[in-house]
Amino acid sequence: MKRIGLIINPVAGMGGSVGLKGTDGNVEEARRRGAVPRATERAKIALAHLAKSTDLAFVTCSGAMGEDALKEAGIAGYRVLYHYTGESSPEDTRKAVRAFLENGTDLVLFCGGDGTARDVFDVCGSDVPLLGIPAGVKMYSAVFAIDPASAADLVLACDRHHLRDAEVMDVDENAYRAGTLKTRLYGIARTPALAGKIQAAKQVYEEQDEERAKAAIAQFIDEILLQGTLYIIGAGTTTEAIARRLSIKKTLLGVDAIRNRRLVAADCDEKTLLALVEKSPDTRVILSPIGAQGFILGRGNQQISARIVRRIGIKNLIVIATPHKLAQTPHLYIDSGDAALDREFGDSIQVISGYRIAQRKKIHR
Amino acid sequence: MKTKILLEEEQMPKKWYNVQADLPSPLDPPLHPATQKPVGPDDLKAIFPMELIRQEVTTDRYIDIPEEVQDVLHLWRPSPLYRAHRLEKFLKTPAKIYYKWEGVSPAGSHKPNTAIPQAYYNMNAGMERIATETGAGQWGSALAFATMLYDLECTIYMVRSSYSQKPYRKSMMHVWGAECIPSPSTKTNAGKAVLEKDPDTPGALGIAISEAVEDAATHANTNYALGSVLNHVCLHQTIIGQECREQLAMVDDYPDVVIGCVGGGSNFAGISFPFAGDKMSGKHKDIDIIGIEPASCPTLTKGLYTYDFGDVAGLTPLLKMFTLGHDFVPPAMHAGGLRYHGDSPIVSRLVHDGVMRAVSCHQSEAFDAAQTFARTEGIIVAPETSHAVRAAIDEALKCKKTGEDKTILFNCSGHGNFDMSAYDAFYAGQLVDYEYPDELIREAIGRIPKIQ
Repeated sequence: MKRIGLIINPVAGMGGSVGLKGTDGNVEEARRRGAVPRATERAKIALAHLAKSTDLAFVTCSGAMGEDALKEAGIAGYRVLYHYTGESSPEDTRKAVRAFLENGTDLVLFCGGDGTARDVFDVCGSDVPLLGIPAGVKMYSAVFAIDPASAADLVLACDRHHLRDAEVMDVDENAYRAGTLKTRLYGIARTPALAGKIQAAKQVYEEQDEERAKAAIAQFIDEILLQGTLYIIGAGTTTEAIARRLSIKKTLLGVDAIRNRRLVAADCDEKTLLALVEKSPDTRVILSPIGAQGFILGRGNQQISARIVRRIGIKNLIVIATPHKLAQTPHLYIDSGDAALDREFGDSIQVISGYRIAQRKKIHR
Repeated sequence: MKTKILLEEEQMPKKWYNVQADLPSPLDPPLHPATQKPVGPDDLKAIFPMELIRQEVTTDRYIDIPEEVQDVLHLWRPSPLYRAHRLEKFLKTPAKIYYKWEGVSPAGSHKPNTAIPQAYYNMNAGMERIATETGAGQWGSALAFATMLYDLECTIYMVRSSYSQKPYRKSMMHVWGAECIPSPSTKTNAGKAVLEKDPDTPGALGIAISEAVEDAATHANTNYALGSVLNHVCLHQTIIGQECREQLAMVDDYPDVVIGCVGGGSNFAGISFPFAGDKMSGKHKDIDIIGIEPASCPTLTKGLYTYDFGDVAGLTPLLKMFTLGHDFVPPAMHAGGLRYHGDSPIVSRLVHDGVMRAVSCHQSEAFDAAQTFARTEGIIVAPETSHAVRAAIDEALKCKKTGEDKTILFNCSGHGNFDMSAYDAFYAGQLVDYEYPDELIREAIGRIPKIQ
């Protein structure tokens, strides 16, 4: 029996249709502009696909935060572990997930956007897997299924062997509304493997599992590291595998610098990086696309600014990603904040995806 | 205007052409893996019959095809040469495109051309069993067919990922009475060593070769057979190019461009060596001979010309060839038959000397060409063959630009009837364009493989 904790952010996505670019702290304004709740409907699509399964035991929250959708989808036998009153808040989400976990939960299935993902992640961390039914305005995090029906398939397929790392992104809503996208990597969650579902069994080529792929990439990077060259290493678990191979402690969510296989500076900001680059004639950047959309620059790695990339030269950028992640991201994106620099990358880019193996990936404009 | 150009059975060549006779200087000898001294016939006796060892090193220009072998080859040979009228029309090219269709063999590819003589010589030498490896299953099914005809047992180590994902090739081997084992296996020390390190490995051709060689070396009644790379294998395939030359003469033509896809190099050798001979002898100095390989495993275009092992474990002799390093496991693209780190020493030498040249393409570009071919000429080619189609179309399109009416000949080496899932992936937009990051590798290591 799989124990699923279901939580719905009833107001998620409301800001989107009325041009609010996010709903956090803006529910009243969204309502005033005529937005209607949609998260429950999205959740119901997923739940309808799960109604026949006898292998699932649901725990949830009262009313619009879960119970209503379960009832309407025809799922009985659930338990309500958290009751809320008034307008639901991020704190309600965190308290509810805490209640799920105390009760023993194999997967937290949430319906919402990036904000909800962060609230759920605050409690789950990387210990308990989470999966998003997409219903938010912004979904830069990599924990969402591609649609509600796929979320249901993933719930059914989810077990310990089909989990992968996925970035949870923090988007500054106020800045976003003002026209700038400021994101940072908020954390690395565990989530059911999406590409395993997307790539059907009929695929002829073998699928490498994530850890094997990361180790192979790290082996290759280890082989090509040049003596004396400064390497700026971006955030994430793919780059972390390189650090692990070199026995260096990496800042998982930040940018580090190494030279001659030794750590030079940890968790660097742009200023620190610039100072390092000034002093180093040969510098390279090793980074991995961040988030569900596959941004190489501009999301989660902003310390590696356009200024730094210009200084180093785009030919000295080494992009790495596992085949699994690349299968999920048909295009890669570059948004360095310097449109001319973005254009210099051309239409495609080489991404190292294994030991002496690369893939040619299209860059989306 | 003819579409099919056919030879009568009695017009099938009765000799193989040995391009070694026309090389300006002898090939660099294979070296013993332990001593690094040139290997002699005695070193190879443990796994090959003497006649094949002789063919491996001889510089005689022609070698008789035994009548018993000719009889079997007549089951499908001479194979047809087609003029690709419909493809030419579709491309609006002034070029003339011919393709040699090797998919008419029982196994569906050019592989039986060498499987039959290899099985025959082993039977003559008193062998009871042959061990071999297979990647995608083309070679394994060809050898299963050949050993059945000569009443030999056959054990085939099939790369594990293909074993589970290409079940019909495995079924063919069973129909022809062979034993097919997923590699790495626990039957050999080489296989066990790999499994101990990595129980979930998908396997690789280089590992399967190690297993088959070990099997043959440790069983007195068993020899080893290789489906590509070696000189005698390329020799047996020259029947293809010789037939082509006859068939083109029947329509008073001769190729300006000869094309084949390259993995280990045998089908390319088969169609091109007779023409390379013409080129080296000065009869046709301007002929352009092109091998096309996958961008993900670009041995001839990005590799290094040096001595390297033929397998992962380092059991085989060291061969002077273009190589990406024997420890390189190419990515799992659909053209499994082109996933090999090295190349035929003769093909390597001819490319190195400029008699031939090599190009590469991504698999999505190859499948795109294969689709064009299927929708004009009808044949659904193997993923390996799709690379040759790509090169032929590219050359024909060049002619369209320049207005030249060149004669282009390519080897249509096999059908893709068991590879439809690869076509499905193409249509689903799921083909990954792998490539070899050669710049990073070159600057960091200077030289690619290091022979310890």
